[in-house]
This record gives sequence, C-alpha cells and structure tokens, in this order.
Amino acid sequence: MKKIILIGFLSFSAFSSFSQKKIEYVEYDLPNGIHVILHEEHATPIVAVSVLYHVGSKNEKSDRTGFAHFFEHLLFEGTTNIGRGEYSELVEKNGGGLNANTSQDRTYYYEILPSNQLELGIWLESERMLHAKVEKTGIETQRSVVKEEKRQRVDNQPYATFIPEIFKRMFQVHPYNWMPIGSMEHLDAAQEQDYVNFYRTFYVPANSTISIAGDINVANTKKMVEKYFGSIPKGEAINLFRDVENLTDEAFLAKYKVAKSKFDLKNFNANKDPEAKKVIDLYTAKPSVIPRPAKTTEAPKGVQKDVVYDNIQLPALFIAYRFPEQTNPDFPALEMMNEVLSGGSSSRMNKAIVEKKQLANYAFSFAYGLEDAGMGIFAAIASKDISLDTIQVEVDNQIELIKKELISQEEFEKIRNQFENQIVGSNSSIAGICENLADNYVYFGNANRTNNQLDAYLKVTREDILRVAKKYLTQDARIILEYLPKPEAATDAPGKN
Amino acid sequence: MKKYILSLGILIPSIMFGQIDRSVRPTAAKAPAINIKDSEVFTTSNGITVILSENHKLPKVSFNMSMGASPLTEDSKAGLSSIAGELILSGTTNRSKDQLDKEKDYIGADLSADKESVYLSCLTKHMDKGLELMSDVLMNANFPQSEFERIKNQTVSSLLSTKSSPESMANNAESKSNFPKGHPYGEIMTEATLNNITLDDVKNFYKLIFTPKGSYLVIIGDITKAQATAAVEKYFSKWNGNMAYKQQMPLSITHKGNRVIFVKKPSAVQSVINVTFPLNIKPGDKDQLPLTVLNDILGGGGFGTRLMQNLRENKAYTYGCYSSLNINEFGSSFSASGNFRNAVTDSAITQILFELDNITNGYVKDEELNLTKMVMAGGFARSLERPQTIARFALNIIRYNLSKDYYQTYLKRLEAISKEDVLMMAQKYYSAKNCNIIVVGNEEVLEKLKQFDADGIVEIWDAFGDQMKEMKKADITKDQLIEKYVLAATQTTSLKAASKKLKKFKAFEEVSELTIPQAPFPISSTRVWQTPNIEGSKIEAQGMVLQKAYFDGKTGASTSMQEGKKELTAEEIASKGKLIGLFPEMNYTKVGINYELLGVENVDGLDSYVMKVNDGKSESFDYYDAKSFMKIKSLKIEKDADKTLEISSQYGDFKDVNGILFPFKMAIIQGEMSFNIKVTSLIIKDKVDLKTFK
Repeated sequence: MKKIILIGFLSFSAFSSFSQKKIEYVEYDLPNGIHVILHEEHATPIVAVSVLYHVGSKNEKSDRTGFAHFFEHLLFEGTTNIGRGEYSELVEKNGGGLNANTSQDRTYYYEILPSNQLELGIWLESERMLHAKVEKTGIETQRSVVKEEKRQRVDNQPYATFIPEIFKRMFQVHPYNWMPIGSMEHLDAAQEQDYVNFYRTFYVPANSTISIAGDINVANTKKMVEKYFGSIPKGEAINLFRDVENLTDEAFLAKYKVAKSKFDLKNFNANKDPEAKKVIDLYTAKPSVIPRPAKTTEAPKGVQKDVVYDNIQLPALFIAYRFPEQTNPDFPALEMMNEVLSGGSSSRMNKAIVEKKQLANYAFSFAYGLEDAGMGIFAAIASKDISLDTIQVEVDNQIELIKKELISQEEFEKIRNQFENQIVGSNSSIAGICENLADNYVYFGNANRTNNQLDAYLKVTREDILRVAKKYLTQDARIILEYLPKPEAATDAPGKN
Repeated sequence: MKKYILSLGILIPSIMFGQIDRSVRPTAAKAPAINIKDSEVFTTSNGITVILSENHKLPKVSFNMSMGASPLTEDSKAGLSSIAGELILSGTTNRSKDQLDKEKDYIGADLSADKESVYLSCLTKHMDKGLELMSDVLMNANFPQSEFERIKNQTVSSLLSTKSSPESMANNAESKSNFPKGHPYGEIMTEATLNNITLDDVKNFYKLIFTPKGSYLVIIGDITKAQATAAVEKYFSKWNGNMAYKQQMPLSITHKGNRVIFVKKPSAVQSVINVTFPLNIKPGDKDQLPLTVLNDILGGGGFGTRLMQNLRENKAYTYGCYSSLNINEFGSSFSASGNFRNAVTDSAITQILFELDNITNGYVKDEELNLTKMVMAGGFARSLERPQTIARFALNIIRYNLSKDYYQTYLKRLEAISKEDVLMMAQKYYSAKNCNIIVVGNEEVLEKLKQFDADGIVEIWDAFGDQMKEMKKADITKDQLIEKYVLAATQTTSLKAASKKLKKFKAFEEVSELTIPQAPFPISSTRVWQTPNIEGSKIEAQGMVLQKAYFDGKTGASTSMQEGKKELTAEEIASKGKLIGLFPEMNYTKVGINYELLGVENVDGLDSYVMKVNDGKSESFDYYDAKSFMKIKSLKIEKDADKTLEISSQYGDFKDVNGILFPFKMAIIQGEMSFNIKVTSLIIKDKVDLKTFK
C-alpha cells in the first residue's frame, strides 16, 4: 500500500514537469462575424488553412437528411471564379493537399500548402464561403458518389451499421436520430432549390471559424484574411450578393425592387449607388439565423433489446447508455472511466473478456461525445461458438463492478498517464493543431483548451469516476443490440459448405 | 474605369471596405527553402544500426527496432510469422503478460510488436521504463503455452471474419495471384495451416528472426544523441543472437492473358475489383521515381487522376478508384482497385483496363505530367513535417543501398522526368493484357465477368485465395450412392445379388509394382485380404522388406526399417475393426462410422459425388464418379497430435476379377511423397497366411 502511494506521488510530480510547448495563437472576430484563429510556427515551411462551418447533420430537416455531408462533397465543385473540377487541382498543382469531413455537429474544410501559397489557400476558402456553385451538374455527380460512399463505408462493411442502429433508437426526437451520411432517398428527392437554401442558411460568415496554422507571419496573414474574408458581406447581405450573381435581372428586380445593374460586386461593401447602398445596408443589418436543435434530455425509457442481422460470420453485442454532451463537466470523468474499462491491453474489458475468459475476439467501449448529447457504447465481437448471452453476463459484471467500487489507485495513475500521453500526441502536426484550435473554440468557446485540455482530466478524482459510473451506467435504461449472421451469410460458414 | 479605381484607392487607402477583384488569383510568394534535416546514424558492437531523428516539438520519443531478416517461406504453416508476432508481447522470463500490460499501460506507452519489429512510443520522461520493457521483450520473450492456445483460438475466429470482409478477401487473392508457391508474399493463413503451427515453431521463429545482427533501431523525437547513445548501450548492448536470416525468393511469374478470379461474397451490394500483376522492380531502382509518376497520373491519389476522373467524376461508378505500386525488396506488384456497385461491375473493369491500356499508347498530357510532379513535390515537402519521414529516408538509404544524396536530389530528379520517360515506363511495366482481375462480390455479377478472361473460364477462389471447391447438391442420398457403387463394382443389379456374390469372395492376394520418383530401383508391393477384415501388406526392394503391416481382426502391428516394429494402438485397432467386408461402405451404419454426402464436385472436368467419412480416428473424403459410380479418389486426413497428414489415393484401370471390378492402377500422394502403383496380379484365395507380414 505504501509503495502504491509513493508511485502516485511520483507520478503526480511528473505531471508538474509537463513540458509541452504552449501553442501560441491570436484570435479575433471580423466585423461580418467570422471568428479567426492564427497560430504561427516555423518548423516546416507549410501552412494549414481551414474553415469550420458550424453545421452538421443535426441541423438538417428530418425529410432532408444527409445534406451537411452532401455539401462537403458539393463544395469542391467550383465557385463563380473557379471552374468545375478546378478547386482541388489548384491546390494539388501548387503542392498542397486538401480534404474535408462532416460530423453531426460541424463541417470542416482544410488545405495544407507550402507556406508561400498561403494567399491561395485563403482565397480558395473565401470563394467557397461566398459563392460556391450549387448547381445541377455538380449535384447529380456528387449524389452518385455519395451513394457509393455509403455502400462502401456502411452497407458493405461488417458491423458498420451498429452506430446508426443505436442512434436511431437512442434519439427519437433529436436529429441525432440519423447519421451524417443520411438518407439516399432524401438526397434523390431534394430539388436544386433545397440545396441552394441549405447553402444560404448555413454557409454564412456568422456560422464560420477560420483557423490558420504554420509558417505564417501573423500581421501579413491578418491582411490577407481581411482582404478575402473581410470583404464577404455581413448578415443577410451575403445572400443579396449571391442573388446579384445568380438571379436574372427580372427576378432580382421583382425580389428587391432595385435593378441588379446598380450593384458593383467588386466593391460591394462601399457601393456608390444610393439605392443599392440602401438595400445593402438593410440586408447587412439583418442577422443570419442559424437553425439549431435544442439540447436534448432524451434517454432510453427502459431496456430495449433488438436483433440485427448482418453479413457477418461472428455475432456481436453492443450496449449503449446515454451520456451527457461533451462539454458537460461529467464528461472527462466518463472518458476516464471508459479508459479503465477499455484503454490498453491491461484494461478490464480486454483482460476479463478477451484474455481470461476468451469469450470475445474484441471487447471494447468508448465514450461518444457530441455537442448536444453523448453516449457510452460497449462492444464485443464473439469468439467462435460463444453465445452473446454469455458475453453480456460478463460485460454486465464489469459494469456492476465499476459502479460498485472505487477504481484502484494504480488504475487511477495509469489512466492519468494514458491521457497525458494521448493529449500531448494530439498536437503533433500543424494540421492537427489547426483543427484542435477551431474545434475547441466552437464547442468549448475556448481555443486555449488546446493548451490546457489535460487539466480537465487531472481534476477528476476516483470518487468522480465512481459517481459518474453510478449515474450514467443505468442498467434499467439502455439499448442492447445483438448482431447475428444473416441466414445466407451463415451458409458460407465452414462445416456447412 | 481604371482611373476611377485608382483615385478611390487614394481616397480610401485601406481595404476596409472590401474592394476586391476576386477573379484575380493570388500568386505564390517566394518559394520557401526545403531542408531535409540529417539523421544521426551509428552502429553498435552487437550489430544494430541506429538511426536517430531528433525533434523536440513534443516531449515524446519513439523506438522502433526492426529485424534485418528476409521473409520466410512458411508453406503448410502459413501464418507462423504473424502468430509469432502476436505472441511476442505475451510475457517474458521476467514478466507475465499481465505484468507487462500493466507496466506499459501504467506509463501510458504504446508498446507493440509484429513479426519483424518491436515498437515503443512514450513521453520522454517515461523512456527508461519503456525501454526496460522493450528490451525485455526483445531478449526474453517466453511464449507461454496458454497464450499460444488463446491466440490460436482467437485467430480461428478472425479467419472466420475474413469471410465477411471483402477487402481482406481481395487482398488474399491479390497476394496469391501475384506470387508463386513458395514465395512468402503469396502465403495466406487458413484454418488448416494455422492448425499445423506448434509452439516450438513459434519459439524457433523468434530465435531465428529476432537477433541484433543486421537489425535497425530507429529513434525519433525528444532525445539528444548523447541520451540515445547511452540508452542503446544500457538497454540493447547485452542482446545477442545469430546472423540475420536470409533466403532466396522464387521469381514472380506474369500470367499470360487476362485471368479473372472471382470470390463469392453473398449479398454484397458492391464488388471489390482489383486489377493486379507482379512488377519486376526493387526499391531504389532508377525506374522507381518515373514509374511512380506514371502511376500517380493513372490513379495514384488525388481527384485528378485518370481513374478517379473517369470512374468517379465522369461516371460516378464509385466513391474512389486508385492504383498503387507495392515496391518491396522481395517482390513488387501493381494494383488498381475500388468498390463498385453490382450493376456496373463489368463496366468498371472495362474502364480500368481501358485506362491501363490507354496510358501505354501515347504521351501523357503536359498538364497531367506537370500537375503530378507538382503534387508529388508538394507531398514530399509536406511529409518533411514528420520526423518519421526523416528517419525513414535515412533507413531506406542504408537498407536499399541508395546514394547518400538520394532524397536531397529527389526534387531535382522529379523535375527532370519527361513525358518520354513516362511512356517508356508504361510500355516497360504496364499492360492491360496480362492482369489478374479479382472480383469479390455477389454471385449475380459472375456471368458478366467471363468476357474478361482470356480463356473464358473464371476461376472461383475462396476467401483465402485457394481454389473454391464448388459443390452442387447431390441428386441421390448417401445410401443410394453406396448401393450404386456396390452394384457397379460387383456388376450386379440388386444388393441381394451383390451380397450373394461377395459371400463367395473370401480372400485375395495382390502383387504390384511401385514407382517412386525419388527411387530409381524397382519396388514391389504385396497385399493380402481375408474376410471380414484380416489384412497384410509389405513393400520390398532389392530383396529387402522396407515396410510391412498386418491386422488379424483383433490385433496387429507395423514394421518399418526406420522405426522398427510398432503395435497397433487400441484406437487403430478399433478403427480397422470397423472396416468389414470387401466393401466396408455397406456396413458403415452398423459399425457406427459417420458418413455424409456433401454434394457433387467438378474435378478436372468430371463430376464426382463427394462423401465425407469419419471413423472416429480420421476423416476422409471419397470421390465417386458420377457416371460409373466407381470410387476414383480418396482423400484421407490423419491427425497426429497437432500435425495433420493428408493422403490422397486415386484409382483407375478397373478390371474384372471373378465378377468384381478392382482398380489396377493407383496413384498415392502422401505429403511430399508420391508413388504410382500398377497391379501385376490379383489372385483369388480361400484364405491367407499373415506370417510373412508380421
């Protein structure tokens, strides 16, 4: 006992010698509402330019799901000044790389470029924000591509449906009910105007955060940001700008009662025509309204147990509990609890279920944190000839145990060390730092969490872990899914050939 | 207009009001210099080459020790190296697996191992503890039996899940189709090869492969050269071992004509298509860079490649279609692959082959070439952010004997590549006519694949890259099959007539000539049998009895020159006792032998019924010709402890002896031995004498 305390003491003192270099950054708002974060670091002559739009699948209508992710594809199709297919080519031929990703809560676009191409990156992203092409040809192509993506990533992958199957049971009202990939039927049913409206609603300055990191000079970068993003019209004026570009003269006149010719797009914010200026001022004053669902208190009402048949050979068990949203003060404790159960080969789930009793080939759990709600998911893929009931008994034993007893001091020190290692590692690349700064600002309202994220975990006590285990691992309110082989897949199993 | 803007510019000097001509694309600033930091390289007295890439950005350090051995042919034990790799972290002579797991998790370290390396990554402050564990594993892994059993069992389950992963199935087929038998890259673990692996095999593998001689230790991160040198001395200088293992590899053979290989994946919604062939090139070859340029234009990455533009952007057949080069020291290959919905599977193959052929027919466009070169140069520059890249460069220079400035001159060499060079690479290495076209998917696409195969016959493989034993459902029952066989062999029309005939048949003596490829001298075999189950056999050469055996109904023995006399075990006696009569099949039910008619299999163009028989000791698969109903082949699988032995016997040239058909020609394959038997006489007797067989 004495020895363990000593280890604990040593380990604690090690924390204070934590020597990661602080990530320095500046942040500010442009008058049009864009939040800007700049991090200067010259180790490698590259730069990451990113824009985070605070729109994900949870902002979609229930009969138009998959839009946020669809836009992640569509917005590479070109802009008023960038031809179809040219967007990625411009990046690649200038030695850069680019990509994007979509979650339930946000869509994130980025370029990584040689640092002398910083302005190109800023221009590209500002073009995407101001006036991307949302048109038939691009919509048609990307519709098919997204369908193939779904077939490849979800339909054709064993067990890949467990997340959507759990979410749709867990959230019956909140739009976490569906996944970012969404419904292919909805994408088919949508008209061009639906897509245009989505762009006008969510792709606006007030909904975006720019994060730029790497081999930059902050003062010069601010000028470039001002030039390309500062010139993007504020509030609803951005959509006025888009209408000047896209509507016919007649349609424009009918909508705004002012002739389109009075607007100068190259000098939009200092338009000299008084009539045009009046309209611009009016729309600039109209704030963008971003529809966001309310945070939800939805949780399973009891134990819901279902069977899902999949193209698999080995049955699998999934158990899901409702956790709070990722910003909830309980969330770090839940993540640490999860680390005890599932972090590393000495974790409880791996030792007990995979190694000692050999009931499962894989047994793990994870804490799924989102902006409006969270979830804890326990998973096990059965060993050959082991029944899921047997596995569930053992998973439940582990859950009961962590709800009943404080974790040992040694486990506690271990997970603290594991978190330190992970968090230090998460800022290893310019691209990673760029994304962390943006995410932390948007979700936690604090870009500096990129530097002090570890503190939230170091505050957690063993008692906190016991408390959250008791509070959130509700045996009488959870979702249990049993994945079983589809009959036709089973006939392919050995011995039945 | 121009004047007006200018004057506005004077009046409002800032860009506060957002005056901007967005159609003007920004130009690049002065290109930054690209520096490749040097790595430190030094060797230790016990043969380790150490490569150090310092990087103090994060307080972390990693150590990767990889072995200098070549891959090893595993043959009937395919999978041995991967099982051994999984077991390396199963404990040492100093620590049980539980202790090891606990200690490495306690410091939050990643400690992993595979068949040829051990890797550690941790915070610099935990480095000493981490290295203590790493060196313990490298020197003292002890492979406990219980962990061996556990990993084997777990692997049985994983092999099963291979069948639900179309990508794994395609990868297996790719490996097997590109690399010849005996090449480690073409060996795929199956349940059968897994069963052949013993704990001793694993221990021997570790001893053979894990040795400091010829190994490479790559150290990356927050550590100085002095600290690294001291750490290597402290933790690895006591490690000893033999010379690094090296073996010759058989050469890859390019298939002549396109060959379609289909792997069934029931209810798949997409087909995985993989068009692949071997390449004759090694890492560091002067062709490697221009070949990579060629491949990047075809489908190496990005959205602008020919495959991506054609199959994704224009036709929307797929989410992604890529081509890749796997250039390795011991064998290289090309592959173009993607996932395609069922309905366009054949169209997608057509387009992939079109692009593969098209690129050999003319120069690539200047834009394509320049774009690709820019992409590669950019990727190269961006990769320098990672200290892992710098270390990999240093390692490659040593491993593949590259010139010292290979990476320093990379961008210059890349820039110099012309479209003539690219075409030369295409014509030298690519062809749309000698490909292995692998499709993993739903059976509904199968019919449309024949058009792509040079001889129109699609090979059906299983999930592990072996020929699929396609089985049709049998049209008769197992007992009807036995009846038809007995009637055919006895040339009668009813079982009653057959039994009557067999009752008169009391004993025989059969003398044969044996030919064995390895033995130049003549060998003769004598076999006797007497109802119901008395038998004797012997093999003689040059006047010596090499081997003899007998069973008198109750007991027996076998004697061979190598092993001397061995009495039959109780199990063997029980098994022999069950074979009653000239056609033991007739008594299977009575004596409790399990038998099951699996179906009809096509072997070399002939349909055969396949009967699985299990007598409690061994399993055998008997093949009966679907037309004549004669037994033409028997595949017996004997298990001895954890070994299995396969004996395949083929029967032919049936001749009438006293109204019963006997095979007068046999071919027997047992492990690596094979021999042909030609019966020279078969004499009917009343009874036999076992004396000369005892």
